[in-house]
Amino acid sequence: MSIKSRPLSFIHDVPIIKTKMFWDGLKEGRIYATKCRDCGKIYFPPQADCPKCLKSNLEWISLSSEGEIETFTESHLKPQGFTHYEKPYIIAIAKTPEEVKVMGWLEGVEVNNVKVGMKVEITSRIQPDGYPVIIFKPKYMK
Amino acid sequence: MRRVAIIGVGNSRFGVRNDAILQEIAFEAVKEAFEDAGITQKDIDLSIVGSVGTRLYEALPAVPVNEYVGLDGKGPIRVEAACATGSAAVFTAYNAVASGYVDTAIAIGVEKMCEVDTPTSTAVGGRGGNYLWEFHMFGTSFAGYYALYATAHMSRYGTTEEQLAKVAVKAHKYGAMNPKAHFQKEISIEAALKSRVVCWPLKLYDCCPISDGAAAVILSSEEKVREFKVEDPVWIKAVGYSSDTSNLVRRPNYVGLGATVKAAGMAYKIAKIEPKDVDVATVHDCFTIAEIMAYEDLGFCRKGEGGKLIDEGQTYIGGKIPVNVDGGLKAKGHPLGATGCSMMYELAKQLRNEAGKRQAPLKKNIALAHNIGGTGHYCYVTILER
Repeated sequence: MSIKSRPLSFIHDVPIIKTKMFWDGLKEGRIYATKCRDCGKIYFPPQADCPKCLKSNLEWISLSSEGEIETFTESHLKPQGFTHYEKPYIIAIAKTPEEVKVMGWLEGVEVNNVKVGMKVEITSRIQPDGYPVIIFKPKYMK
Repeated sequence: MRRVAIIGVGNSRFGVRNDAILQEIAFEAVKEAFEDAGITQKDIDLSIVGSVGTRLYEALPAVPVNEYVGLDGKGPIRVEAACATGSAAVFTAYNAVASGYVDTAIAIGVEKMCEVDTPTSTAVGGRGGNYLWEFHMFGTSFAGYYALYATAHMSRYGTTEEQLAKVAVKAHKYGAMNPKAHFQKEISIEAALKSRVVCWPLKLYDCCPISDGAAAVILSSEEKVREFKVEDPVWIKAVGYSSDTSNLVRRPNYVGLGATVKAAGMAYKIAKIEPKDVDVATVHDCFTIAEIMAYEDLGFCRKGEGGKLIDEGQTYIGGKIPVNVDGGLKAKGHPLGATGCSMMYELAKQLRNEAGKRQAPLKKNIALAHNIGGTGHYCYVTILER
């Protein structure tokens, strides 16, 4: 036996002024990181402040579009906000030649054919619902 | 720092508790803890309430809980450390007593997770990493996060789906013997392997359920142990803690949890013990892969040999190191805020030789609780001794 609570919903306006380059890059298929001009540390996900130097002197760098799969899963769970996507999606983590790791959705391959160490192309797109996503595509040896 | 003892423990029944609201479940655990300690509210100086609370309609859950159990005015301090909230609550109570600021404190861990639908619960859990850079774009979930670790561990060390299933079989065996467990039935390895995929390679039986429940732990100074005439105090020998990056992409690898290694190292050093000195342990098995990694990261076996340890049955009662003989998070259930306190409940019973048919043999009277928050985002390792 139960009664319904009063509904409460949140949709946040998330400021992206300090990371605008990253979000703009996703519209063009490019992944941007930041690099501290003082200590040289690369930050991905990008951030505007370097906790190592306690300074905010960072520049934008474009990451290589090549990556190697470190791990992956195929999600059959659909959290609220993702229930309108029809199929399960493969979430993977790939390492770029800059030794930066990126999370993305791996597409164009069945989960049973994915292997750790697989080479992928890293790109991005804007979903039909307006949300951006980083995409990995298998790079087959010619 | 003063010595601190656990003098009373209580645990509600875990499960889909649509028969009760948050504070009513907390009451079950608090009442049992008071009866166990032989004291009442007037003897408590400080109350700590651990609740993750992100699925609740109650925005400030500690206060209604505290009021309902008759502790208004004695705190509360509300504590949150994701799935390690219960251990963080015990640690907060421990520090207050050890420092001499108070003499007796209660840690109450409580969670209601089943009042919202599964996609909502999954979304709240999936935000337990870094919302903007992970969940927002990729729809991560807790099962998804641990599945990323499972894939990497299987790829690196050859850990198999059968070994993961064996962890679930063990959890259900002991869950079937625990009247407070969410799942009280045994399962076969075939059923586990045939269950539906949740986040590949993790299947339904690799995952803990979404549960409601509460547990409470009362801690006192040595002086109060004598004053209350507690016959069987269980001493907190050490608490180790650590954490890791919120973003999974900033982790060095996906085959173990760095926070466990650091927290365990700290706890072993303070307690002046080695992993082999532990008689019985509760480890954070929210997913079967988490238990395999915990065996390794806590030093119960070498890195990469967690699958072998379960193959050999070494973590059953009678094995080298009995683990999660209460059913673990996997079968007993994992009401987030309650879990750490429930681990103390089980280990206090074990060290007092009160675990009945689930009693592990005691040699050194040392037990270890390993409680992870998130995907290694927090870790607490608590060592108890009687």
